[in-house]
Amino acid sequence: MDMKELEQQVRPMLIAGRGVEVEAMIRPLLASGTGPVTLWALLAQALRVQGRVLEAKPIQEMLVEALPGHLSTRFDLAETLLLLGEFDRGWREYAYRYSLAHTTRIERKVQRPRWDGRPIPGKTLLIHDEQGYGDTFQFMRMVAWAKEKSQANVILEINHETASLARRMKGFDALTLRGELPPYFDVHAEMMSLPMIMGLQLSQLPGEPMPYLSALPDRREHWRKRLAPYKGLKVAFLWAGRPTHFNDANRSMELEMLAPLAQDGITLFSVQKGPKEEQALNPPAAMAKHVVSLSPEIRDFEDTAAILTEVDLLVSIDSSPVHLAGALGRPAWVMLPLLPDWRWLQNRDDTPWYPSVRLFRQTEWGQWGPVIGRVAQALAELKAKKV
Amino acid sequence: MSTQPQNTMTVEQALGQAHAHWNAGQADQAERLCQHVLALWPGQSDALHLMGLMAHAYGNLDLAIDHLRRACQAPRVPAVYLSNLGEMLRQRGLLAEAEVAARRAVTMDNTLVAGWNNLGIILQEAGKLDDSLSCLERVVALQPNYAEAHNNLGNTLKRMGRLDQARQRYEYALNLAPAYAEAQSNLANLLNDLGRPDEALAAARKAIDLNPRLSDAYINAAAVELGRNRNEEALRWIDALLSYAPLHAGALTVRATALRHLERLEEALGDARRAVSIQAENGEAQNVLGEVLQAVGLHEEALAAFDKASKTLGFAPEKALINRGVVLMERGDKGEAKVAFEQVLAQYPRSASAWFNLSDLHRFQAGDPAVTRMESLLYGPDPLQSQTDRTALNFALGKAWMDIGDADRAFGYLNEGNRQKRATFSYDSAATERWMADIAAAFPAGIFGKAKATLAGSDQAVFVLGMPRSGTTLIEQILASHPQVAAAGELSTFNALVNQLGPYPQTAPHLTPEICGGLGQRYLDFVRPLAGSRRKVVDKMPSNFLFAGLINLALPDARIIHVRRDPVDTCLSCYTKLFTREQLFTYDLAELGQFYRAYERLMDHWRAVLPADRFIEVQYEDVVDDLEGQARRLIEFCGLAWDPACLDFHKTQRTIRTASLNQVRQPIFRSSVGRWRPFAAQLTPLLAALGIDPNAPDAPAPTVAEPAKKPAARKATPKAAVKAAAPEPAAESVEAAKPAGRRRKPAAT
Repeated sequence: MDMKELEQQVRPMLIAGRGVEVEAMIRPLLASGTGPVTLWALLAQALRVQGRVLEAKPIQEMLVEALPGHLSTRFDLAETLLLLGEFDRGWREYAYRYSLAHTTRIERKVQRPRWDGRPIPGKTLLIHDEQGYGDTFQFMRMVAWAKEKSQANVILEINHETASLARRMKGFDALTLRGELPPYFDVHAEMMSLPMIMGLQLSQLPGEPMPYLSALPDRREHWRKRLAPYKGLKVAFLWAGRPTHFNDANRSMELEMLAPLAQDGITLFSVQKGPKEEQALNPPAAMAKHVVSLSPEIRDFEDTAAILTEVDLLVSIDSSPVHLAGALGRPAWVMLPLLPDWRWLQNRDDTPWYPSVRLFRQTEWGQWGPVIGRVAQALAELKAKKV
Repeated sequence: MSTQPQNTMTVEQALGQAHAHWNAGQADQAERLCQHVLALWPGQSDALHLMGLMAHAYGNLDLAIDHLRRACQAPRVPAVYLSNLGEMLRQRGLLAEAEVAARRAVTMDNTLVAGWNNLGIILQEAGKLDDSLSCLERVVALQPNYAEAHNNLGNTLKRMGRLDQARQRYEYALNLAPAYAEAQSNLANLLNDLGRPDEALAAARKAIDLNPRLSDAYINAAAVELGRNRNEEALRWIDALLSYAPLHAGALTVRATALRHLERLEEALGDARRAVSIQAENGEAQNVLGEVLQAVGLHEEALAAFDKASKTLGFAPEKALINRGVVLMERGDKGEAKVAFEQVLAQYPRSASAWFNLSDLHRFQAGDPAVTRMESLLYGPDPLQSQTDRTALNFALGKAWMDIGDADRAFGYLNEGNRQKRATFSYDSAATERWMADIAAAFPAGIFGKAKATLAGSDQAVFVLGMPRSGTTLIEQILASHPQVAAAGELSTFNALVNQLGPYPQTAPHLTPEICGGLGQRYLDFVRPLAGSRRKVVDKMPSNFLFAGLINLALPDARIIHVRRDPVDTCLSCYTKLFTREQLFTYDLAELGQFYRAYERLMDHWRAVLPADRFIEVQYEDVVDDLEGQARRLIEFCGLAWDPACLDFHKTQRTIRTASLNQVRQPIFRSSVGRWRPFAAQLTPLLAALGIDPNAPDAPAPTVAEPAKKPAARKATPKAAVKAAAPEPAAESVEAAKPAGRRRKPAAT
């Protein structure tokens, strides 16, 4: 069998979530218990897209054992382990996130050593954030913990968009913006290396303080007034993530799919940003009288934070406002694909990261209908309770 | 914002900011500031230096060197720039220029730790080991907690053969920096040299765990497995390395060696040639290419590759020079070979492989200075520390003292050498005995009467088999001197084809005439090209004695010649040889005797069941006594007309590649008969296992068995499947591939 040909045939099927078919194609080829690495990797992915992550794990572990220098395999294993809540090895393998074909070029070559987790009183530790805003919101909580553990002078380097919220957080001594020259430092740590460096355990979540972010009082005042005219349950919502995210096709949806949420006694406030925000200005007729778009008025994450603080609930796909809501301690319902990002774990509708967040998971690949149905049902119940 | 240099900024300020940006991993801003400075002040030394460091960090070595060369043209260049230039030039293999730069650095500032460190590893690579040692000792004196310097010192000490001291340095480095992958990998390499393969492998695994892209660690892990003949395991390590670095010349080199061991010579040659084409200046690759070329019989090309390897900078040429000697030896140029090994010793007086190979070509006499020199390498004030070196010298000294006639001393060394070798692998003598009994039981007389495979042309095949060291090479040479006979050497082909059918001999009941015919056909397909235009092709793999029955079923017209020799002489000869490929049963006198008896019982069985016109036996001692008579008998058995050339077998121009290669060139070898009697006292465990009373007036030398049927001596009882390692006869004479894993931490600051 030509492995290249098979891979070309199977990859699109896996992207389309056709794990059952792919598994049926590959299993016989591995019936003897041995086979090429590529086949095993495809089988592991076929199991993963069926949500059978626990079965994929031993295969991925075997692949890493056989090819320890094949670093993208290790990153794949990290995702599986973290999804299963196996933090110890999970965080260690997650260290290979900058060793993938598309990430090696963006690894930051800091010329100072990485902090090793030991106390370094009198030294300066630079903690710098990485890619997504959601990641930054989620792992900001560890800055204060790192400060406590290192006893160092901590400089937090952060992107411009989230800096304003971060400034009001405790746990660092100085803040510098990404791209600017940071003050002198002795050691550094990427924000998402902190779990590995500090040996973060599931049982330590959500940690103290919780919430760790807060909205600006004057922005809250502004948005309270803006939302005042609308009666009933106030629900902020968004339905699409950053289109360049590698998994966007699986996590995002279209506005009209959320029609079942348009219920009497509920106002849906669009906080969608980006290319899809236009959709809320011209919602489908069935939704029109329930949907109000705030999108054009949202200037920054401070606005989003204030809105999330003033509404009753956020309903969202897996995107950065969910993390902002969680960090603010505000209620949020997240609609997740069958194979979600590792941070949402498996088989639970809550999340140890954020006590105020509730999860609604797909039970079949790509099928949002039942998920939206359950959210609509829960909304109706919430509305009833509020009344 | 500080990213845009302002007009008011001084050059010093701009450079300070550039350095700070680079420290923070902000390459764009740092580069912009450097470019700005260089626009104002072309050739500004600090800006060029920083540009060079950045290019180096992003893997653009040539560009980095270009920047640093220019930075170092400034009249007030700091010493550290020269030191960094030296390190980068070393990485590029420009050792002479590197040494000049690093020496300038430490001349300017003799407290510059990084400068001494970089000079130390440049000198190490250039083979100036004493100078390297003193540089690196100075580094650790200046900065005792410099883990990288301890590691580098370990590498120099290792190259000097001071393995114990090297080990201490690696362990010290790891004590300072437990996550230091390179030191772990170097320790792995060293532990393997010290004869501790399990610990070596554990260290290599640890290194890979610390840094899964540390290629040297994979190569060292593979070398451990190569060293104990686990070639498939070695291939797995190499494939793991090639999965992320498909053009790694070192990996292809090691894979070529593993494949050569597995007799997958075409693939081995492909890998070795690719390695050389990727890195023509890689001495190790050239050396391995030579070894593969030698294995496929391209001796002129092999010699050329060894010559290239021995002249490559940075590669210890010792191995290549020895390999050259071995090719000469195999070609029969004994005198030239001897000169070659003596030349190696003139250059490398401590080369154990040179002594080992030379000892085979040299007849030692009492008071021979060579003996004293070898003994001092084992027990003098500065003894050799590599385990394989010590083992080889023990065998060489055993041979020397046997020549001289001092049995006690000879066996003192032989026992030690054998004990050391025996400690490197596990072997179950009882399981092997059971396995041979199972083979006999699996091929009862009845199945030879039934329909056999019909296979045209199977009379072309001639098998010469028996115990190793029983005279199979002599018989092959006699046959191959006939113009109608080609010698294929020792082929693992039949063994490999049998293994493809499943576990042997459990497969025996399922062997239909069709399966047997297919087996025979594949064998003939393989050997026919080796026969050329000749009518017969001889395969003298001794261990084919395990398959004699199956050979007859698969190749009904093939001739099988069983060579016999006095059991004690045979075993003594085995015991005195350090086989390069695993002969697991020859390193313990009792196990040797047990194996011999099991072999004998199996041969009794074959004798009883195989047809007399296809199976013949010849006694080595009879050949010595009556060469022509026995030669005529064998030629006739093969169905050929007599040719007197067979009596001049020692003139046959053909390369011989077995452990006996220095003997068959001699016209006859009477000294090999009854050789054991003076050593009876030392051979007690062997004699006991063989059941021979050394005091009996005439120890039962076996008579040449009549090819007539007679019942097998003992009835073997069928047993459950026992997996035993099939004994592998010697195939080559020198083992040289052992990649040295060295990795240094450049001190570019």
